[in-house]
Amino acid sequence: MKTEPNVIEVENLTVAFGDFKAVDGISFYVKRGEIFGFLGANGAGKTTTIRCICGLLNPTSGTVLVDGKDVSSHTAVLKPRIGYMSQKFTLYPDLTVRENLLFAGSLYGLRRKDIKPRAEELMRFIGLSQHLNEPVKLLSGGVKQMVALAATLLHNPDLIFLDEPTAGTSPITRADFWRLIRTLAQNGKTVFVTTHYMDEAEYCGRIVLMERGRIIATGTPEELKKQFFPVPPVELVFTQPRQASVREDLQRLNLGTAENFSGGLRVRVTDMEGFKAYAQTREGVFTYRPVAPTLEDVFLKAVSGRNAQ
Amino acid sequence: MKLFFRRVFSVAAKEYKHILRDPFTLVVALVLPLVFVGMFGFVIDLDYKHMRLYVRDNDQTSVSRRFLQEVSSSGYFDQTPLHSPSLADAALQKNNTPAVLIIKPGFGRHVKTGDPSSPGRLQLLTDGTDNVQASIIQIYMRGIVEATTALFAGEDAPAASSRIRTRFLFNPELSSRWFIVPALSTVIIGLLAIMLTALTVAKEWENGSMELLLSTPVRPAEIILGKLIPYFLLSLFDVLVVFVLALTVFRIPFEGSFLLYMAACAIYVTGALALGLVISVVTRQQQAAIQFAFAVGLLPSFIFSGFIFPIENMPLFFQYFTALFPQRWFLLISRTLFLSDAGLAPLAPAFWGIGLFAVGMITLAVFKFKTDVEP
Ligand SMILES: Nc1ncnc2c1ncn2[C@@H]1O[C@H](COP(=O)(O)OP(=O)(O)OP(=O)(O)O)[C@@H](O)[C@H]1O
Ligand SMILES: [Mg+2]
Repeated sequence: MKTEPNVIEVENLTVAFGDFKAVDGISFYVKRGEIFGFLGANGAGKTTTIRCICGLLNPTSGTVLVDGKDVSSHTAVLKPRIGYMSQKFTLYPDLTVRENLLFAGSLYGLRRKDIKPRAEELMRFIGLSQHLNEPVKLLSGGVKQMVALAATLLHNPDLIFLDEPTAGTSPITRADFWRLIRTLAQNGKTVFVTTHYMDEAEYCGRIVLMERGRIIATGTPEELKKQFFPVPPVELVFTQPRQASVREDLQRLNLGTAENFSGGLRVRVTDMEGFKAYAQTREGVFTYRPVAPTLEDVFLKAVSGRNAQ
Repeated sequence: MKLFFRRVFSVAAKEYKHILRDPFTLVVALVLPLVFVGMFGFVIDLDYKHMRLYVRDNDQTSVSRRFLQEVSSSGYFDQTPLHSPSLADAALQKNNTPAVLIIKPGFGRHVKTGDPSSPGRLQLLTDGTDNVQASIIQIYMRGIVEATTALFAGEDAPAASSRIRTRFLFNPELSSRWFIVPALSTVIIGLLAIMLTALTVAKEWENGSMELLLSTPVRPAEIILGKLIPYFLLSLFDVLVVFVLALTVFRIPFEGSFLLYMAACAIYVTGALALGLVISVVTRQQQAAIQFAFAVGLLPSFIFSGFIFPIENMPLFFQYFTALFPQRWFLLISRTLFLSDAGLAPLAPAFWGIGLFAVGMITLAVFKFKTDVEP
């Protein structure tokens, strides 16, 4: 993986809408064949960044290179290589799945007779062959998203952008989506995916965390966890029902921040020695064990760390 | 180039499917022409006969009396004598008086000698609030003057009036219907074409599909041409419907070349469709686009086309200004081809007018088409 070249390089990208900077001087790179996760809350600037990389929006300043070529001056060469699944549903509701796919494919200059088998193959890959002749407006949300994915993959792009593909879909659809995304990456595609769901981010090779137009953390999930949690969080289970005082103590002694979870507390410990000492004074009240941090933990810590500055 | 046509074709095919599945477009295309023809056709079909005419004869010669006889026998005017010249203004101020005719002394002498150096003294005051009626009265009156002059001067009728005579040849009954229905087709076809395309690009923006289009290598020219083709065919169908209605329901003769007429329609419709696309490309919102299209489609066809206000009565600036509007040129072509068997040569400027407009609008639509999603 390490030897793969950078397929996307973003340098100091800024996008301003009037006075408001939706993206504020961010830099990052994406390596060929990786699943790149772009995370952030609503309005963080994820969609805006993707649109710049896909050539749909001109940056206010900064450069975006795809394969070393500047996007704004090489759109014609780059567009056929890019598959972009927009956050907003972009297919035509009055056309059938097949018609939508044929249309999307033909815009890339594909011939009808080449698109047909490809569309059928994709719908099998996605597991929705039975819907080919249905008008898109009759499909359920999850199936619609899947069809949008198929339309994105039709021209066999090697750079795939998925903007919140799983937003608003069922857990089953989400699992299916991620299975497909992993398959794509195994076949050498670069997948750039944005999401709100931190659990999904665990599947990504590398991650960028964004907040209000800026990058607040970058790295593989493991690196991020190590970076933000040199001390692992602790799960604390009460053996007696006396939760309130423990939580207050932790706060008062500045040992970490705690959140309730069923039957106990999840503590992002800041001072492990202090915590161990405190636990000894409360023997019999609770037991505890260190757990692996999640990306949710990382995100919360990164955001609170920034806000504290 | 092959790719270009392939993309144009698939945009056209997609648009064709939208048309078939969208009841609104079909209603606009198929029902609206009938509604318009019915609405305008019967409201506008005024009959200009037995119009009230106040007359004062200050000449009192045999010529002037004979002239007034001719006015009567034409059937267009009911005469009422005016006893004092000062009453002329008062008479015109009443709403039911379209015109006042004052024959000045010396009228008879002039007609008899036909001497261009001593002009005839005939004053016609018309109520300009009804511009069409006023023009028609003028045309009638000149015709009658002409006829009277011819009676007294034999074969040597003054050449000055011959231009007016040709108009009579093209519309010998001076039927308002004959004049108005060809103009009506200008309004209806133009408005329909603009409305048909005005929604199409805005719809892509509202629906989100523009983001799909823009992320693919498809180019503005391909989208614009692809969208033009199916609506062009639909509009030509409307052209035929309006044409057949004109001939059957309104019983208008068609004297000119049908092929020439269809060629003009094709060019005119293309310009109007492209204008609709420009509106759609610029507004990006269906609501705004349809309002714009309605205003842009309707107002110039009435005001600047010569339909309501005859071009030759306009101030000079406006005579040139109207040249920007294809409605003016198409109205000319439509009237000419319905009422005469003119060839291409006399209509060449008009064809240039609609042709340049169409090319200009297509260029503008392609040029204005945004290739990024910026607000
Ligand atoms: N065209 C625009 N004009 C003005 N402001 C915009 C425009 N597009 C986006 N914004 C603003 O820029 C900010 C970033 O938007 P963006 O869509 O990139 O966020 P996002 O991370 O994709 O959020 P979400 O999770 O809601 O999709 C938001 O505050 C948004 O309101
Ligand atoms: Mg977004």
